[in-house]
Amino acid sequence: MIENREMRDKLRKWREENCRNSEQIVDVGEELISEHASKLGDDIWIIYEQVMIAALDCSRDDLALTCLQELEKQFSDSHRVKRLSGMRLEALERYDEANKDYDAILQDDPTNTAARKRKISILKAQGKSAEAIRELNEYLEQFVGDQEAWHELSELYINEHDYGKAAFCLEELMMTNPHNHLYCEQYAEVKYTQGGLENLELSRKYFAQALRLNNRNMRALFGLYMSASHIAASPKVSAKVKKDNMKYAAWAATQINRAYKYTDTLKRHIVHLGGHAEAAMKQYPLPVFDSGWLVAGPRRTNAP
Amino acid sequence: MAEPELLLDSNIRLWVVLPIVFITFFVGVIRHYVSILLQSDKKLTLEQVSDSQVLIRSRILRENGKYIPKQSFLMRKFYFNNQEDGFFKKTKRKVVPPSPMTDPSMLTDMMKGNVTNVLPMILIGGWINWTFSGFVTTKVPFPLTLRFKPMLQQGIELLSLDASWVSSASWYFLNVFGLRSMYSLILGQDNGADQSRIMQEQMSGAAMAMPADTNKAFKAEWEALELTDHQWALESVEEDLMSRELDFDGMFSKELPSGIF
Repeated sequence: MIENREMRDKLRKWREENCRNSEQIVDVGEELISEHASKLGDDIWIIYEQVMIAALDCSRDDLALTCLQELEKQFSDSHRVKRLSGMRLEALERYDEANKDYDAILQDDPTNTAARKRKISILKAQGKSAEAIRELNEYLEQFVGDQEAWHELSELYINEHDYGKAAFCLEELMMTNPHNHLYCEQYAEVKYTQGGLENLELSRKYFAQALRLNNRNMRALFGLYMSASHIAASPKVSAKVKKDNMKYAAWAATQINRAYKYTDTLKRHIVHLGGHAEAAMKQYPLPVFDSGWLVAGPRRTNAP
Repeated sequence: MAEPELLLDSNIRLWVVLPIVFITFFVGVIRHYVSILLQSDKKLTLEQVSDSQVLIRSRILRENGKYIPKQSFLMRKFYFNNQEDGFFKKTKRKVVPPSPMTDPSMLTDMMKGNVTNVLPMILIGGWINWTFSGFVTTKVPFPLTLRFKPMLQQGIELLSLDASWVSSASWYFLNVFGLRSMYSLILGQDNGADQSRIMQEQMSGAAMAMPADTNKAFKAEWEALELTDHQWALESVEEDLMSRELDFDGMFSKELPSGIF
């Protein structure tokens, strides 16, 4: 079995990278807590927090309650623990009590961002998206730098089909993270959905930018092709624009073909491990693609 | 005018120079931990947090505005800088100069600062001067004028001695400032033993967030933003992109779990 230190390192890595693989965290964390609690020292509190949130994700209320009780025993007056207790109430759908908890935190410390964000999530969970949007806007007026919040707001706006405002939020994100190809791509998609010649041009540019930042972004490549062909097919454009866009679309199409050919060559080097794949994934949960293919290098002789 | 080089007893090195270094270092470490113990919680108001974030946003707009479309950039610039109701023009924060009398928490902070930093320095400086007096400790590598003699050569009554030869007290002060980088190495940045940083803070102002500063900061941002123009970084992005074939290397590598989407 995987030993103590490895488990701790895994949990730390997931914590630092903010991974949301809750089932794995619960598996590893539960074992760590029940067997090796004494050997963990001061790390145990942060592991309790991490495991508790993962347990709430997996509906493991018993585990969550245990972790929460341990934390409450140790840090009785802490805002951080209060927030966790609020989250547990949220998971049990006792939203009013959760709100009371968060309000208590905010009364004590008006600058506490975590409590405010939880309140907004409650509104979102209850389906009151208009209110959630309004609260989130107010929150962002005070804390303009919170990128997570901008992203959440853009998602809410997209759900409401308010693409103009979603684009605004994504612009904030693009400014703070100019080298993140995913924000460029999302912005381009929103612009594409908005439609209209100007927006299509913008979307084409941003798809291209996303591709420039990351050559492997297939979605951006398809987006580039679609937006360029759309502009070329539009009756209102001048001949030069039409020609340019057809050139872009043709180039994108060639690249897409190349990408598929690349996959084909790769397939010959990839070995499907079959049953071995299942067992391997259970023991060493590595991030693999859904198809279960691991790039294994030269052909294995014992593979089926 | 070169004088004959003085040869110092190597005992001086062993029993004076090194002990002073150790003393300074350990006193610094102790100071650091004492300052942690005495630290009071700095409570920031909502307004201060919000203002600092607004300033950051405006700065990002200036620096990275070229990544968003021109229209959006102008919209934001207008929001900040508009003559009548731009944010920087409109918002005036209440200016309360933080004097020690009116702000009790600041008074205690200042006192704590003094106690942990200045007092030990003076005490230990004096003790070292008294203990290690009467001989020359070391030589500074650059020539000094005679004016420095009474300051640096406490306890050495030699009229003809070059001012570069200094006593142990000055070696102590040299250490206090010199070990600053050692403290950053061992105690991490932002440590309580950092003398010169404390003194700089005392010189530039007392509290962390000065209200008067916010108004000035707003004004400075307004000016900077006025001067900024929009140079769209995406002018020729398609041409740049299509100048060469796409590089698909590593598309299905397991090190890049989300490389595609």
